[in-house]
Amino acid sequence: MKPFRFGVQVSQVGSASEWRDKARKLEDLGFSTLFMPDHFGPELAPLPAIAMAAAHTTTLRVGSLVFDNDYKHPAILAKEAATIDLLCDGRLELGIGAGWMRTDYDQLGLPYDPPAVRVDRFEEALHVIKQCLTGEQFTYHGEHYRITDYAAWPKPVQQPRPPLLIGGGGKRVLSIAAREADIVGINPNLRAGEIGLEAAKDSLREQTDRKVQWIRDAAGARIDDIEIQMRFFVTRVTPDRMKLAEALAPSFGVSAAEALESGAALVGTEDEIAEQLHRRREKWGLSYVVVGDENVDEFAPIVAKLAGT
Amino acid sequence: MHDRRFRFGVACSKGRSRHDFTELARKAEALGYSTLFVPDHFVEHDLAPTVALAHAAAVSDQLRVGTFVLGNDYKHPVVCAREMASLDLLSDGRLELGIGAGWMTADYEKAGIPLDRPGVRIARLAEAITVMKGLFAPGSFTFHGDYYRVTDLDGMPKPVQQPLPFFVGGGAPKILALAAREAQIVGINANLRSGDGTSPDAARSMTPEATDRKIGWVRDAAGDRFDDLELQALVGFVYVTDDSKRVLEGIANAFGVSVEDARVAPPCLVGSEDEIVASLEERRERWQMSYHVVDDVAIDTFAPIVARLAGK
Repeated sequence: MKPFRFGVQVSQVGSASEWRDKARKLEDLGFSTLFMPDHFGPELAPLPAIAMAAAHTTTLRVGSLVFDNDYKHPAILAKEAATIDLLCDGRLELGIGAGWMRTDYDQLGLPYDPPAVRVDRFEEALHVIKQCLTGEQFTYHGEHYRITDYAAWPKPVQQPRPPLLIGGGGKRVLSIAAREADIVGINPNLRAGEIGLEAAKDSLREQTDRKVQWIRDAAGARIDDIEIQMRFFVTRVTPDRMKLAEALAPSFGVSAAEALESGAALVGTEDEIAEQLHRRREKWGLSYVVVGDENVDEFAPIVAKLAGT
Repeated sequence: MHDRRFRFGVACSKGRSRHDFTELARKAEALGYSTLFVPDHFVEHDLAPTVALAHAAAVSDQLRVGTFVLGNDYKHPVVCAREMASLDLLSDGRLELGIGAGWMTADYEKAGIPLDRPGVRIARLAEAITVMKGLFAPGSFTFHGDYYRVTDLDGMPKPVQQPLPFFVGGGAPKILALAAREAQIVGINANLRSGDGTSPDAARSMTPEATDRKIGWVRDAAGDRFDDLELQALVGFVYVTDDSKRVLEGIANAFGVSVEDARVAPPCLVGSEDEIVASLEERRERWQMSYHVVDDVAIDTFAPIVARLAGK
């Protein structure tokens, strides 16, 4: 069983000094990792932001949750990842996904290919990125990328490479993650191209059980080397969890009891949340807990209690 | 109107570790350099510029940071704009956005990026600059060009500097005309049509007469804007010596130019401190060139000259 660790996904940043203070605060509170998403809404670009957060800290890990593969050529992304890892002395977690948010593609004028094509391209990109991160010269002629006699530089500090984080909700992507990644994120299935009712229902306990089984099946013996991660979107420290669940459940079309057991929810007193996390780690192998920026303060005592245990 | 005061930049060619690169940024700031630049190539041992500049800005207070220069074909301009605006925000407005049409053949071949003819690359760069400026400006932006199609996108974040200074350099009429129309900083560079920065063709395109012609192209395209532009040169060869004659003869022979051409050519600064100071003043007088960038290997030898001229 892996020790617990905690990440925070931050997307809004007001200013340079606010960002520096935020990174240092997360480090002081014992959070393991600062993550940034990669979308074209009111969010900063993850790359310079996490590089800067790393420059202002000494132990905090930084990562993308997750880079969309379709925005950049994988050789460029690999070079950027290796540069961050070099300049932060080995604290990068490289999260990458096949891309899903429809509005991003429409606004950028990028073709929103069917999921199968995006995932094919993503698999090729993973191969290219892994090769780049070795620093060895390689050639790869795939359907989507064509690399010739290329030796990437710099070499990352973490060897053999910075941890690769792949998240997904469907069987194919989770199977790829189980075979290729060091950290597997269990997400709702986002085939609809947006986070809506379908995604909420896909986070329920049964669906999560099934996803964990896909991961185990595809991982085989690798399963012991993999960290399982979940991003909790509904997180609240509250003395009356049932009351909150009854208020929230109808808008997701589920019962209060189902809502509380959902893979996206972490609700209750500090002790109840700690107990839920222990239970989920035993059942699903979940040890890497990611919450939103708005949960940092209320979650800090839970981090203090559980991180590293 | 630009005041033509001297300022100096350092181009990073090496950043081997967190410690080395942090020290380079702090040293450049302490020695009075205005800007730390990071290039953008795959095949050279360069750091990824967006990442490295974020780090440099985080470990300094006043130092400006710049891309030297982004190859436009490596990233979609919407992706690029968001990264550059974020960098400007997180550095409290210290970014200089250098971007070029892309030229290094080896980069394209190794990464499998199609290398179109120069005219197409320059037309695409022009569209990319339009897209980025549109996203940096207030409100929602739509652009349907030949190469990029952006629909109802309100670029976030907005840069702190309004306008964010663009830096565009080149050595041929089309690219310099684009720079003259769109950029705040114009780099007077070698002509890189050969795809190789060390070719004799590139070297011969840097003679004083060739530089006169380039300044003429910039002036013609800039019109009234010319007085607002800051003109920059990359000084790839700095040699502080009391025996400038011998060194200049060596350069002249190696590149097939005259000794006098080697003395005045923008990429070379050879001589005693006094001679180099005089040469920089001569270049400013002749070409209005006031912004000089040296390689980081010359950061120390060039420092006394920076101390004498920066801000003057």
